[in-house]
Amino acid sequence: MIEGIGVTKVFRHGRSDVVAVDDVHLNVIPGEFVLIYGRSGSGKSTLLGMLGGLINPTSGVIRVNGLDIGNLSDAMISEVRAKEIGFVFQFSGHIPTVTVLENVMLPMLFYRDGPGSLSRAVELIRRVGLSDRADAYPCTLSSGEMKRVAIARALINSPPILIADEPTGDLDIDTEYEIMQLFQQLNSEGMTFVMVTHNLDLVPFGTRTYRMDRGKMMEIPRPLPGVTMTKEPNTHLDHDAGTAMNEL
Amino acid sequence: MNYLTYLLAGIRNKAGRNLATAFCFAFIAANIFSGQYLTSGAGGSVDQGVSRMGADHLVVPAQYQVFSRGFGPENTFAVVRAEPSTYRIRADIMATVGSVQGVMKMSPQLYVATLREPALSPSPVEIYGIDPATDFTIQPWLQHPLSTPMSPGEVIVGHEIKGDISSQISLSSHTYTVAGRLDPTQSPIDRTIFLRMDDAYALAATEGIVPSSDPRVSYGDINAVLLQGDPGEGSDLVAARIRRAFSPTYITVISRHFSLDPALQEIKDLPRLLTYISLIVVVAALPLISLIAAMVAHERQREIGLIRSMGAKRHVIISLVFAESLILAATGGIFGVGVSLIAFTLISTQIIDSSALHVSFALPTVADIGMMAGVALLVVITLGSISSIYPAYQSSTISPYDAIRKNG
Repeated sequence: MIEGIGVTKVFRHGRSDVVAVDDVHLNVIPGEFVLIYGRSGSGKSTLLGMLGGLINPTSGVIRVNGLDIGNLSDAMISEVRAKEIGFVFQFSGHIPTVTVLENVMLPMLFYRDGPGSLSRAVELIRRVGLSDRADAYPCTLSSGEMKRVAIARALINSPPILIADEPTGDLDIDTEYEIMQLFQQLNSEGMTFVMVTHNLDLVPFGTRTYRMDRGKMMEIPRPLPGVTMTKEPNTHLDHDAGTAMNEL
Repeated sequence: MNYLTYLLAGIRNKAGRNLATAFCFAFIAANIFSGQYLTSGAGGSVDQGVSRMGADHLVVPAQYQVFSRGFGPENTFAVVRAEPSTYRIRADIMATVGSVQGVMKMSPQLYVATLREPALSPSPVEIYGIDPATDFTIQPWLQHPLSTPMSPGEVIVGHEIKGDISSQISLSSHTYTVAGRLDPTQSPIDRTIFLRMDDAYALAATEGIVPSSDPRVSYGDINAVLLQGDPGEGSDLVAARIRRAFSPTYITVISRHFSLDPALQEIKDLPRLLTYISLIVVVAALPLISLIAAMVAHERQREIGLIRSMGAKRHVIISLVFAESLILAATGGIFGVGVSLIAFTLISTQIIDSSALHVSFALPTVADIGMMAGVALLVVITLGSISSIYPAYQSSTISPYDAIRKNG
């Protein structure tokens, strides 16, 4: 579904080069929930941007459903983004000028023949628990509600892949758990997830977990040695487990 | 949800700033429209005023000058109508006069009689014959141009003569239809009825119209030929050439000795000045509007990044930035033109109502106004398009990921 071979991204800062992502190899198969863990600045968001076709890699190949998205024209990569990938970003990512319902329906403008429809938008809003806020403007919503709007919007065109960049970064633990439950539910229905986080607590939600550090990515074997994880809210990995993760 | 809804929502969201932008466009449109309107109106007024100044020369019987006091070789009056006189010349002199170098237009006039017609005017009414096809002194004074050329049985009446347009008036046993009415001239022309030349001869032949003490009016008699000379030829030179062509005991030439050229030159400079002002406004506004457009695009980078992540192609982003600018330009343009038009209509009505001569400002025609509005809108829309080229390009080429993260 998503394949990365030797993916590297180098940013130029003044006269020096910064390697944000360094020779990453990744193969996400349909129905997986891939979690990429790492500290801030480790390169995980850059990698996610490249996997979603928002950033071109400096070198390496990224294929989405067999298409080398690094070599596509703007029109074609836009089509891939419209049809194949839903994005949920760390920040709320709403369009402030239109209502919740219109926010959810916005991607339909860019994929005219897609499965998106008013009834599907209404259904998605219901599914994320915002039926009574469909006509509200984003500025009246809480952070958690805005995140739900972003999720409903990412799903409107029924993309097979959902890419989430720290989707729960600014949420309280209860809301974070609800969002993750929703993701898990969607994953169980067949949607493929690639999500990055710096929150160790979310590791158990992934079917495969990677850790990024200074642009390098390595897979974390499951289960972590000597660590028992739970998906209950307000439950955190103990210090040893965190240390173990960081050591990997 | 469609593109228009999305665009309008974006415009509504920043109502103050977008109103200011639209106001800039309105100001430019109003400036361009006003310039054209004033130019056209002033031009029309000048044309009308000049055309109402009448003839440059009057070819009359030699005895005319003695008869008619006030007209001399140094005449400074506008010559619209020959004075009533029973001294006549033959119309066939027009062939000779017309062949004189420097004669551009000529038209005959025949004074028939002065009648007491209380039903038409409390003052005596003067009856004249004119040739509507060549006339260039009477018809410019019409309140409204004739819809069709003057037909047999139709008359043009002076301002004080009673009778509405299309109504019928009677002179002796003859009935005529009023085809047109003249603006007031504050002269005996206001109490004059102008007939076609054929009708004038027929009326003159009627018993009791021409006093028995006066010479009879024969077919082909006229009182004067009114002439307009070529501006390139000297006025005196043309008059001298005409005099040379005839015996001095038969005709004389009375010329108008004043010129509108200095005033015309000043008035002709007015449109140029207005055009310069409009150009300065456009040139000054372009960077300002471009700056606003660039600021708007910069401010919306995250939004643009977001919709790019949803699958919006580059051309969609370009179209959206352009469309927003065009909506503001068109809205502002229509508002500016509309306000200007209302203002001009009110002002023009006021001027016309208070004008003694009713010729202060020639209102442009609806077609002309439409054309001017179109030009003004075209300019602001072009301005809007030019000012949004760079922001549109910049918005379409920005990395979606950078746009989202930098403003996130």
